Parts: sequence; C-alpha cells; structure tokens
Amino acid sequence: MSITTSSHAVVGTPLRPLRRGRDNCILGGVCGGFATRLGIKERNIRVIFALLTLVFGLGIVLYMTFWLVLTRSGEEHSIIQQIFMNRREAQIVLVAFIATLILIITLQTTGTHVSDGFGWPLLLSGFAAFAVWRGASVDERLRLTDFFNTAPVIGGAFSKSRKGVVLRVLVGAALVWFGLDQLNHLGGVWGSAGSALLGTAVLVGGVLVLFAPWWLQNVRELTSERRERVRAEERATMVAHLHDSVLQTLTLIERAAANEADVVRLARNQERELRQWLFSPETVTSSSTSFVGLVGAIEHDVENDYGVRVELVTVGDCVPDERVAALIAAGREAAINAAKWSQAMSVSIFTEVEPTSISLFVRDRGVGFDLDAIPADRQGIALSIRQRMSQFGGDAFISTSEGEGTEVQLVMPRSK
Amino acid sequence: MIDSTRPRVFLVDDHELIRAGIRAEIAGSVDIVGEADEVEAAIEIILERTPDVVLLDVHMPDGGGQAVLRAVVEQNTTTRFLALSVSDSSVDVISVIRAGARGYVTKNISGPDLIDAIYRIAAGDVVFSPRLAGFVLDAFSTGSDEQPVVTVDPDLDQLTARERQVLRLIARGYSYKDIARELTISTKTVESHVSSVLRKLQLSSRYQLSHWASERHLN
Repeated sequence: MSITTSSHAVVGTPLRPLRRGRDNCILGGVCGGFATRLGIKERNIRVIFALLTLVFGLGIVLYMTFWLVLTRSGEEHSIIQQIFMNRREAQIVLVAFIATLILIITLQTTGTHVSDGFGWPLLLSGFAAFAVWRGASVDERLRLTDFFNTAPVIGGAFSKSRKGVVLRVLVGAALVWFGLDQLNHLGGVWGSAGSALLGTAVLVGGVLVLFAPWWLQNVRELTSERRERVRAEERATMVAHLHDSVLQTLTLIERAAANEADVVRLARNQERELRQWLFSPETVTSSSTSFVGLVGAIEHDVENDYGVRVELVTVGDCVPDERVAALIAAGREAAINAAKWSQAMSVSIFTEVEPTSISLFVRDRGVGFDLDAIPADRQGIALSIRQRMSQFGGDAFISTSEGEGTEVQLVMPRSK
Repeated sequence: MIDSTRPRVFLVDDHELIRAGIRAEIAGSVDIVGEADEVEAAIEIILERTPDVVLLDVHMPDGGGQAVLRAVVEQNTTTRFLALSVSDSSVDVISVIRAGARGYVTKNISGPDLIDAIYRIAAGDVVFSPRLAGFVLDAFSTGSDEQPVVTVDPDLDQLTARERQVLRLIARGYSYKDIARELTISTKTVESHVSSVLRKLQLSSRYQLSHWASERHLN
C-alpha cells in the first residue's frame, strides 16, 4: 500500500462541512458558509442571493431556510434542531408558523394583494426570523443584538442621541409615505388604502398581543444574560491579574523561601505593582506617557536589579518630551550608582514638576565618597549625568562626603 | 529614647498578624496598653484607658481609622494618633490627617523608626513620612495651570516658602536633623514648621484639599 489515502478528496482544497460562518458573516453567516464550502468568494454568493431575491423574494426565503437548517460553525446543532429539542420552544414556533400560514391564506382569500409578489416571502421570512431568534444559541443571539444595536437605523432605537431620533423619524416617515402611496396605486382611491391600513393595524395589534409577552421575556432574559456576561468578564480580568501577579509571586516566594534577599525583593516588587494597580491604574497603561510613570520605571528597575529599597515621592506630573527623557536618563544613572556603590539599604527619589522646571533628587545615606578623589570610571558616570542635563540647559549638582551619604540634585527647565 | 516615662501605646488594626508584628517590634521600648481590631471597640477602650499614642490603621471595616479619630477627638484631647497604613492612596492619607492624626507612616517602616515616631508623637511633635510630605506639597501646589487658586484664608490656604522648603527636604529623605543643618536652623524650628503645615492641612478650607485628588491629572 502506498502512503496516500486521500484519493477521494479534492486535491488542494480540504473538504469542509457546510456550516454557517462564524467569522465571515454579516447576518446569519449563510453566504459565508457557502463560500467556505465551495471555495468561492463570499461576495459572489451574496450577489447570487441578492439576485434570487428579485425573483419573488426567493433569495430571502432560501437564506432564511438555510439559516434555520444549517449548523453554525463551532456549534453542535442547527437552529431547527435546537428548537425541537426544547418542547416549549417547539410549541411556540409551531404556533407562530400556523399563525403565519393562516395570515397568508386569509390575505389570499380576502383578495388583498399584499400577499402577491413579495408578500408571502416576506411573511415567511418574518416567521423564519422569529424562529431564528427563538432557537439561536446564546452566543449567536448576542452577536445579533450587537449587530442590530450598531445598525444605523434600527440601532438608533436604543440610543438617545438627537441625531439618531431624527434619522429614525425621517426613515420611518419615508417608509410610511411610500407604503401609503403603493397602497393607493393598488386600490386607486384613498378609501381602500384606509381599510387596508386599518386591517394592517388590527393585524399588527393582534400579533403584538399574541407575542409581546414572549418577546418581552426574551428581551429581559437577554439583558440579564448580558449583565452576567459583563460581570463575568470583569471577574475574569481581576482573576487573570491576580493570577499573573500575586499568585505567581507567592509561588516564587515559596520556592525562594531559603533566600531572604530574594523573598524581600519579590515581595517588594509585588507590593509596588499591586499598589500601582489599585491606586493609580492610569499610570499602568501609560507608563511611557507620563513623567511619573517613567520615574516609577526607575524605581522598579533599581529595586529589581540591585535589591535596594527605593523610596519614591513624586509631586506633580507632566507629559514627557526630550528634556524629560534626558532628565530621566540622568536620574536613572544616579539611582543605579547609589544602589551599586553607596551600600545603603534604601535610596530616596523625589521629583517635583513645577511650572517652569522639573527637579529630581536621588539621595542615599550610604558611605558617600570624596568628590575630588573619584576614580576615572566614576568620573565618567558623573560626566554622563552632567552632560545629559547641560545638553538641555539643566543643572546637576552632587553633594557628598565620606560617611555622610550622597545626594544628586537634577533640575531641568521645562520647554515652553 | 531619652524619655524616662515610656509612652503608653494602643494598637488598632483589624489584622492579627500586623498587630503581632508591630507588638514584637515596639514592645521593648513602649508600654502597650491594649489592642483593638474593630472601630467600635477601639473607640470605647481608647476613651477608657486614654493612651498617649494610638497606632491607627487607616483601612478597617465600619469607617476605618477616620471613624475612630472622629469619635475620640470629640471627647478627648490628650490622646494623639499616628496613622499607620499600607495604603498609598493620597485621598486616604490626607483624610486621616484632616480628621486629626498627628502623623502618617507606612507599615513597612523599620522598627527603630516606628519607635522614634511614637516618641515624637508622644512628645507633641508631628511625624511626616517622605510620602506624606509629597502628598501635602501636591495638595498645596499652586498648580501649573493659569487658573488662580481661590483662597478663603491666605494664612491657612498657602504654605510659606520656608514650609515648602522643609517639606521638600522631608520628601527627599532628610531627617529633621539633616534639615536643620541644611537650612542652618534649629531642630525645634524645623518641628514648628512641620506642625504649622499640619495645622494648615487640618484647618484649611481650601477647595483643592477636598477635591484635589480628582484633579491630579496631567494637564
């Protein structure tokens, strides 16, 4: 036997079951499903359905039928199957179906021409839409409500904006006018239009009386479903955050229990992160768009890399520019120096944003050093701090003496 | 710790572990006269035993440290409060100070520093941690915006240049002694500046103090 067993499959395109599309859908995903199955562009399928619609609305009816019969990709059952799996739903839909049939027949026998042409496909599609609504999975229903809520005209029903209301009124009025005009053409006189209107009104009223409770219940279920979903999502974000941060750190602490320095470092790290998350969530997302966020990054890195506690105090905030970047770079250098050389357990950083300048102080109570006798490589560091500052007209001043600790004072004028 | 009479200290915190930790650190240097883990009990026992210093947790159920402060400050003038918290929320910190606490330190303060702070509070001084100094500077900042600050009482609503200087040095991590040397003034003068800042913080009706937290955005 040879290795190949795929002789019966179409070469090139893998065989896919006919399913309604999930990602490539506009309404029910029928066209998308056919496109995937046949390997044709969705647009072509849509055009075919649209053309079929012109033939006595055949396209719509076909579409709705497929919608009901085809299983949505990723789901177990088609909508029809789902309806018949639930006895109550099945009854409701059956009643609706019979009502639709009676309606069509009555209209036909009473000689009203509404059922001619596009009438019956529309009524049938209306029924199908109702069935879809009853039988669709929660996920699909949510997608549909989202779709209708964002649709330009219908969606306006939920928005209170003046624009939406005006648009809806205009479209509604145009439709009513168009309808009346059509009826007049059919009947010739206002009288027949009037009686047809009355009939329609009675019909709509009857349908409303019949189905309103179900519909309302549905709406209510849906809103509570959605509320629960939002709540669940919030909880999930919270859980995800706690898991990624606190739980991970606790595990790390357990493992590093023997190493005191590691435990302290981990705990501090976690404490800082949690604090930031609790009290200033905006800087978490925008650490690069705020001065305080950038200083916080220095705190984080120094505590992490050198195991030294950083006591950070900030007053005021501003949007960073190149001057701020230079100040931050110099401040980082100073903080790392303090952590590396001072032998102090903690380093204080204080920043203040004032209308005309930004100052940044890095202080330690460590061993200090003799400014005149610093080795060449550290002079280089001092120079790099000074140079960064003077480039934008800022000042750097270092005060230190042996045994007294060190303070680096940086002042940068703000750009206008 | 030259003080011959050890201050009588009362602990209020709803976490057993935290109380145990604090107790272990300070028991050798002060007299702990009681503990409470809830607001109501704390108020009652503090009023009954009138300790010198209450170490007060900011966050507790039923109103937190603020509720204790309000109830006790109404009745009693000799007990002083030091707020102790893990919280860094500036609103919380400023609120307990305005409710009558004489100082604020974070719970990760070292044992000796905490004991030092308790003694200073007991002696009538004010204890500002660097972070609190930062919050206060922020609260009293004239703001970088053009809008002028509406001040009701300029004496209370603004910090003097000297007070600002002192606060900045505290925020930079200077001790009172360092500050005194830096500004060539006496430690007592430093303390009086800080006390005056505390008074302003508690009495000022400045609009910003109540609302500044929400305005603390980037401009």
